[in-house]
Amino acid sequence: MDNSRHDRNNRRMTFAPEPAPLLEARALAFLRQDEPVFGPLDFALRAGEVALVEGDNGSGKTTLMRVLTGMLRPGEGEVRLDGAAFSLDTMAGAVVFLGHHLGLKLDLSARENLRVSVGLYGQREGTSADAALAEVGLAGFEDEPVRRLSAGQKKRAALARLLLLPARVWLLDEPYANLDREGIALVNRLLEGHAGRGGAALVTSHGAVSFAGGEPRRIRLHA
Amino acid sequence: MTPGSTSAACAALLRRDLTLAWRRRGDIAMPVLYALIVATLFPFALGPEPALLARIAGGVVFVTVLLAVLLSLDNLFRADIEDGSMEQLMLAPQPLALLVGMKILAHWITSSLPLIVVAPLLAGMLKLPAPATPVLVFALVLATPLLSLLGAVLVALTAGSRRSGMLLALMLLPLCVPVVIFAAGAVAAAQEGLPWIAPIAWLGAGLAMAVVLAPLACAAALRIAMDT
Amino acid sequence: MANWVPLWLHRLGSPPVFYRFAGAVRPWALGLAIVLAGVALYGGLFVAPADYQQGDAYRIIFLHVPSAWMSLFIYGAMAVAAFVGLVWRIKIAEVVAMESAPVGAAFTFITLVTGSLWGKPMWGTWWTWDARLTSELVLLFIYLGVIGLYHSFEDRRQGARAASFLVLVGAVNVPIVHFSVNWWNTLHQGSTVRLLGPSHIETSMLWPLLTMMAATKLYYVASLFARVRADLIASEGGKGWVRELLAGRDGDAA
Repeated sequence: MDNSRHDRNNRRMTFAPEPAPLLEARALAFLRQDEPVFGPLDFALRAGEVALVEGDNGSGKTTLMRVLTGMLRPGEGEVRLDGAAFSLDTMAGAVVFLGHHLGLKLDLSARENLRVSVGLYGQREGTSADAALAEVGLAGFEDEPVRRLSAGQKKRAALARLLLLPARVWLLDEPYANLDREGIALVNRLLEGHAGRGGAALVTSHGAVSFAGGEPRRIRLHA
Repeated sequence: MTPGSTSAACAALLRRDLTLAWRRRGDIAMPVLYALIVATLFPFALGPEPALLARIAGGVVFVTVLLAVLLSLDNLFRADIEDGSMEQLMLAPQPLALLVGMKILAHWITSSLPLIVVAPLLAGMLKLPAPATPVLVFALVLATPLLSLLGAVLVALTAGSRRSGMLLALMLLPLCVPVVIFAAGAVAAAQEGLPWIAPIAWLGAGLAMAVVLAPLACAAALRIAMDT
Repeated sequence: MANWVPLWLHRLGSPPVFYRFAGAVRPWALGLAIVLAGVALYGGLFVAPADYQQGDAYRIIFLHVPSAWMSLFIYGAMAVAAFVGLVWRIKIAEVVAMESAPVGAAFTFITLVTGSLWGKPMWGTWWTWDARLTSELVLLFIYLGVIGLYHSFEDRRQGARAASFLVLVGAVNVPIVHFSVNWWNTLHQGSTVRLLGPSHIETSMLWPLLTMMAATKLYYVASLFARVRADLIASEGGKGWVRELLAGRDGDAA
């Protein structure tokens, strides 16, 4: 069964030269206690695309993100990454995830935190921790323990990680939370840059967000 | 080492955990202090008679070290889960079992190694005969990583549950029975002038098995714990 | 995915089907268990002759040995169910594993109590650090750990999965504990008292023992099915089939 699907994909590829989407969900649904949390959901994100997942509290945005990272198994359907079925064992590292918990160690400085992430995930060429921190507006705070940074600055330190890592797909869960107007503009700038480099990003938000450059794709989840 | 390679990832994680432990070095002293207090209480409870103390010294040191390790285990993964670092580890391109193994190694270095260092002191306080002391240290060197590895699996299982230190003790006790038997058995044999290599060899065999299997089990358990 | 799992097992994996199946089997299993236990007790307490060495005190084996056997058998059944539940994510298997634990713990407890009651006249002590008794005690701790872990989770399914994992860890551990305690015993005590003295057993003693074993198995099935039914009702509370079931009950009552 897998083989025939593979063949069909190949055939489609020969007729249409369009590359496979970076991130694709096919009839994706998640069940908790056999009750659907979201879905079934179909979408495809191509290189250079940013999509916004909208929905009220409890509509399953965070759950969707966790399914897309591979930490949760989808109840039905599948996630495909670069045209292949996604599994945490083989494709980990292709996706970078920023969740509600930022994954920063409070006793380490922002620079040390970034060094750990780079050690784990690798580093995108032509980037440096200091440049990334400067870009998110943390120049001068590189060696400050994260504990002493404000909530917004912590978020910025976590955003700097996105710039450094080589992953092409960003999954950002509520990146705008805790940020002032300038911070929101920063997130948008990072997303634009990422899209410009041929990456794709999926962003959740429960509020209205104004993108500077054109309207993003919207994926709506219903509670 | 290229960033993102397996060795770089292990080094980065080990370095991170050791740095974190160093920044909070007060916490490193806690298990040692605890072991010291428990070992001090025994002579008060049993009387200072050297022959009696020498008879129980090996066992007391092992049980004390076991309890100290148990106390320190609770925090092995909790901090990482609470601040989101565990998600970052799970999504990293390296096998989670390997990264978890690094965390266990860092935990052993920061919590068990100090205990091994003070163990001869505890043994001396309890009048363990000097010839048995090297055997005690040797047995601890094999037994403590085994305890850390077994405990880590259980901590990973309880990671998604409500906080419960007693539950961890209840679950760890059956697993550590063989460890205590062989470790204390080696010291008892050495004290009686009998060959002590057999129980040490069993401990070594158990450790070799645990080094391979426990991180895998731990990774599987963590995936269950993060499955919320 | 699990195409090769036999179809009937697959069908039985559906909670409403299992609920009805368990409800149909349970009264028969329970009734038969009570009858067999009565027969076995009569045979054991009145028909079987007194032991030439132990007198009437040995008669406790008609409770002790079947319980000991069940304490291990239930662990085995629980481990299989836990494995199936973890690998194929079959909900019924998880529930069966989790609801086996209290029954197994009860049998283990009975084994320990009857063992020490028996030990008092035989060895002159309530407790001895015999390899079997110690292993049985450790087994009880594992059962309690499984029960504790299962109930320490907010989400029942997650708790079941974590506790199932612990069941498998314990399955590896029990033989190791038995071996190590055996080793420890020979080191510390020289020779130990063996639990089952007579290697040769009279037929009139054997049949009540085997009947009691059958009775305990049936009791396990009956008790397990009752527990699983209650667990399913609780965890599937919001589902259509439970609502229909309750509506049917009310209809009957009215």
